[in-house]
Amino acid sequence: MAEAEMETLVPALTITGASCQGCAKKIRAALEPLTGSTDRVEVDLENQTVALPADTDLADASQRVTDAGYPAEPLWQPALSVSGATCQGCARKIRNALEPLTGAPERTHVDLEKQTILLMPGIDRNEAAERVTEAGYPAQPLNEEEPAEPEQPEPEPNTAHQTPEPDKAPEVEAPAPASHDDQVQLSVTGATCASCVATIEKALMSVRGVTGAHMNLADNTATATGDADPDALVQAVESAGYGATVIEDPDAADEQKQAQDRKQYRDMMVKMAVSLGLGIGLMAYGMGFGSMMISDANQLTWINLGILTFAVMVVTGGHFFVGAAKAFRHHNANMDTLIALGTGTAWIYSMVVSLFPGVFPDMARHVYFEASAMIIGLINLGQALELRAKGKTSEAVRRLLDLRAKTARVIRDGEEQDIPVEQVRKGDHIRVRPGEKLPVDGVIVDGNTRIDESMLTGEPMPVNKASGDEVSAGTLNTHGSIVYEATRVGSETALAQIIRLVKKAQGSKPAIGRLADKISAVFVPSVMLVAVVTALAWFNFGPDPRVVHMMVAATTVLIIACPCALGLATPMSVIVGVGKAAEYGALIRQGDALQTAGKLDLVILDKTGTITEGHPAVTHVHAAEGGEDELLALAAGLEQHSEHPLAEAILERAKSDGAPKRSVIGFEALNGKGVQGELNGEPLRLGNRRWLESEGIDLAGLDEAARAITDEAGTPLFLARGGRALGVIGVADAIKEDSEAAIRRLHDAGIRVMMVTGDVQATAEAIARKAGIDDIRAEVLPEDKAEIVEEMRRKGHTVAMVGDGINDAPALAAADVGFAIGTGTDVAIESAAITLMRGSLHGVADAIQISRATVRNIHQNLFGAFIYNTLGIPIAAGVLYPVWGILMSPILAGAAMSLSSVTVVTNANRLRLFKPRHQSETQEGN
Amino acid sequence: MATVLVNLAGLVLMGAIVWWFWLSGSGDAGARHDHH
Repeated sequence: MAEAEMETLVPALTITGASCQGCAKKIRAALEPLTGSTDRVEVDLENQTVALPADTDLADASQRVTDAGYPAEPLWQPALSVSGATCQGCARKIRNALEPLTGAPERTHVDLEKQTILLMPGIDRNEAAERVTEAGYPAQPLNEEEPAEPEQPEPEPNTAHQTPEPDKAPEVEAPAPASHDDQVQLSVTGATCASCVATIEKALMSVRGVTGAHMNLADNTATATGDADPDALVQAVESAGYGATVIEDPDAADEQKQAQDRKQYRDMMVKMAVSLGLGIGLMAYGMGFGSMMISDANQLTWINLGILTFAVMVVTGGHFFVGAAKAFRHHNANMDTLIALGTGTAWIYSMVVSLFPGVFPDMARHVYFEASAMIIGLINLGQALELRAKGKTSEAVRRLLDLRAKTARVIRDGEEQDIPVEQVRKGDHIRVRPGEKLPVDGVIVDGNTRIDESMLTGEPMPVNKASGDEVSAGTLNTHGSIVYEATRVGSETALAQIIRLVKKAQGSKPAIGRLADKISAVFVPSVMLVAVVTALAWFNFGPDPRVVHMMVAATTVLIIACPCALGLATPMSVIVGVGKAAEYGALIRQGDALQTAGKLDLVILDKTGTITEGHPAVTHVHAAEGGEDELLALAAGLEQHSEHPLAEAILERAKSDGAPKRSVIGFEALNGKGVQGELNGEPLRLGNRRWLESEGIDLAGLDEAARAITDEAGTPLFLARGGRALGVIGVADAIKEDSEAAIRRLHDAGIRVMMVTGDVQATAEAIARKAGIDDIRAEVLPEDKAEIVEEMRRKGHTVAMVGDGINDAPALAAADVGFAIGTGTDVAIESAAITLMRGSLHGVADAIQISRATVRNIHQNLFGAFIYNTLGIPIAAGVLYPVWGILMSPILAGAAMSLSSVTVVTNANRLRLFKPRHQSETQEGN
Repeated sequence: MATVLVNLAGLVLMGAIVWWFWLSGSGDAGARHDHH
């Protein structure tokens, strides 16, 4: 969590009624969708305030906390009106100008849309207005009374999923905030790292009318929510230094992106060939036919070659210079800056030498045109290779996209017709033949079959489906022909939701990645300083020709210092890791969850539906007289009138065993005892021991069978006809076949396993024994589960909670990582950090193993990038020269830099080959 | 003379880098982005 703590959280809301850690948990959970992590919410119970990241949408935040049961209000008040603040750069200047008053830049909210500045109470508004005006933005203090007591934000029932908008508060008097749900999707080019994501999102947020922006690095698309003009969005992204086009048809986006990638790859390879060709040509010419030292004989030739080099640099490396200039104007420096400075320096030096050789001492009349050309060529080559490798990392999403059927055979007016899947409406009846993919979600109305759902759930065996069963889009009909009714179409299908979720998680950043971003942000300007220091050192202390050495060393430092590897290290691994997890049926919502899941040392399992099947089933049938079928037939005859879950279990078993239900009359359910009826004039009773014994029935002969049932956590139901005991039926919520193997895998991974259940101690112990659980908490109320999770966290454990995602929601949210198991419903997906698409606990072990592998991969990448820079920069600066006389060539630096990013991407790709251990057990288990 | 000028230029350049990227306009280093 150390990385998360580096972010400054600012007191942002006042709350009432939060009295304990449980409340704090609930508030953190309620705000998690806004902040991305519960670690980015601090609840101060003593002062009844909540601290949040500076850019949180306070209106939304206070609404969410209020909805969670703790009336909340934003702490901030609109204090100043301002004019001329048009972009995030202005907002920063204003924050900095107010820093002496507020204590930290984050303590100022600038609402660009409403041209308002929000401050915390107690800050002198007149002085603040003066300071902002001095900073170049005329500001006026706002009337203190009107918003001093901010009104309770009005409930907005449909804003729960509104994307956060920074710098916005509800109480500002201004045109109503845009609450449109319109979304514009852009295809973005040039965004290659996590920091680009932030820049593009900021650029989009600065466009009037935008209420939310999300850039997805995994597929290079940006989504802006609100009612902004699409052209303005494109312009905003372009002015931030990237390319953008509006995606008219989201379905075509993927193809569009692939086509774009292919084109970009081709372009880069051509550019690479041209610039590298020129560089090699120049080198060959200089070394073979002429000289790289300017003389009267070759001066004109080199001037011409210099002009040619310039032309090639503009054509093949122009984008570096344009990017560098744009960044520079915004007081930013990026990789383009280093490349532009490095190659630019080499070219300018060479050109000055060529034009005015007399100014330089003889030994310094060397030209480096070939270096400029070759560096640009090598970097283009590196980027092309990177692009290609990156394409592979998003294969998981592409594979999911490929699952979508293009057409559906719909039965309309009694006729079957093939129509594009987009035209399928809810309620349509669709025929699917064996071997075909299901186009939309629905319920089978006719036929039965086996359906391969492995692509969605990771469950390897086809599942039997019959009339009334639900089926999902993207799954494969392997057996019979079925007709089903469409219930969810288009973007509502489970498949579409999974794709959205995976894409979003792939674009998200775990804490470790945010740390890397912070480092790389200060990195580039620091490298520029190092380059100047290097140049001066060579100039003052180096051997002759000093000017040449100075130029070469500075250029090499600029070129070799590549934070690209640092910037790529995390996102690339996250993209692969999240995709890999999805392949095994574990949907990860946040990069943070991926990181935390790798650190888990305690897994708390809910019993019902998690370890067990979640519904009672008959486990034992023991007849004292007559056959088992007769016993079941009599019990089923009684229970067919009952709606109790135990009755369902008995009816189910009777049906599957082919035992016909006997007809029983005079049915009566006796609460806490059982059920009774009449068969051929004799009373027939099915119920617990106490009741039957109180009716004078002797159950002694069934004791042993009953004990076997209770030993396995089952409930014995005794059946008696008249005064005779006929037998006993054991009903239990059976442990899933593979729970034990999955728990063993968790143990193997060094993780303790605890079970929480509402059952009595004896039942819980029986299940724990059978499933191999280390620790149990029995007789726990659902609302106390979160408290147990809290307690374990306080003891220093990193805790995962595994539950069914609905009644376990508070505990799921309280845990470091919440796993919703086996449902795949919207509720589950929203409430847990990780959703397991199939009902097996193996998913937990798989997800943990994949997380560990991903975090290991990120560490390797970061370590590699760090080592590369810590070794590369001093060598480039010439530390080896005094001892061995080695000074690195700028060309070699260019090659090393390209190699470093290619290495990181390749290492991330290696993750694709990762397979969770014991996967074979999963298959056996199913 | 040339030596003094070059050193002076270097120092001015360093000052300019610090001023432009850290002190002026933006205190927010996080806005910078690397491009590869």
